[in-house]
Amino acid sequence: MTTSEAVDAIVKAMAPYIGDTMARSATEAHCQKLGIAAAMSADQREALLGKLGGGLNIFLGRDKSASVIAEVRNALAALGGPR
Amino acid sequence: MIGNGRWGALPWVVLGLAVAVFAGWGAFPSSALYARLLTPPRLLALAAVLKLVYLLAGSSFAFACRDRLEADNPARPAWLLLSQGVLSTFAGQRCLAPFQLVHAQTPFPSVADIYFVLAYPLLIAAFLVFLNAYREAGLPIGSLTERVGIVAGAGAAAAFVALPILSPVAATGGTLLERILTIAYPVLDLVLLLPLALLLRIALRLRGSHAGDVWALLLGGFVVLCMADMFYAYFQSLGEAHLDPFVHAAYVLAYGLVAGGAHRQLRLLKS
Repeated sequence: MTTSEAVDAIVKAMAPYIGDTMARSATEAHCQKLGIAAAMSADQREALLGKLGGGLNIFLGRDKSASVIAEVRNALAALGGPR
Repeated sequence: MIGNGRWGALPWVVLGLAVAVFAGWGAFPSSALYARLLTPPRLLALAAVLKLVYLLAGSSFAFACRDRLEADNPARPAWLLLSQGVLSTFAGQRCLAPFQLVHAQTPFPSVADIYFVLAYPLLIAAFLVFLNAYREAGLPIGSLTERVGIVAGAGAAAAFVALPILSPVAATGGTLLERILTIAYPVLDLVLLLPLALLLRIALRLRGSHAGDVWALLLGGFVVLCMADMFYAYFQSLGEAHLDPFVHAAYVLAYGLVAGGAHRQLRLLKS
């Protein structure tokens, strides 16, 4: 799974809640801050999901945000392990 | 405001009809409908009731949103402030209601203006807290330069539109308190528009989503509210009372949109 594939999967799962544009720009901004380049380690993936969950909290509350992040995690798992 | 299922559109149909009735009153005041059935005292009473209902609903929904968010959620105080701001407007409208319902009059200035003015700092604070919450959560709200540019641009555009409106308002007669209040409302609206412009940038990025729907309704409501205040001041100063129906239509629409936005957010939090 490349970072680009992971970003696409994350955006697809988050878009219904915060929109395609916000999901993509937030994910890419967090990737940049976390130093995630072409590939994403498991630790980086968890850190990214934590940051995205914090952003979703604002709109959805903690429980719903956690369920969306679980959806994202499943989508990433379906893509295969980090490399 | 918007429920699920077949009745979900009903509140919007009611809001649309109400706005159409008031706009129709302004456009065709001497038609048979408005001369015999929907007479000015009845429409003023209807406007008073609709405003109270939408304001109370908006405040309650916003407070319920605050209640649904965790204690450490940075958006929680923003929903509380929004709820209080709308509640303060409700209190002002509640003060006017007896005069509008019984005497078909809207006294100005009155004790209601204390609550209407108090609503502004609460609403402005709510929007600033929302912006800070989005920034803290790491959402892209633009660089400092971009934000300064948006605020400066919105301020200049608002001033460009508002100054020609405010000039006759400032030159109008009346007591000092009347003149201060007539100018204060549009000026406070201009201040309110500045954080709204920043939130609009965020709302555009949220378009096509559940959160985007919430912000489209809320921002739409507050922009219409600002316009209604400015037109009210303008018409008041020029003595153009025959245009009041359009102001009522704008206020009803504004309060309905705000209530609808808060309800959408509550539904999102409950989902």
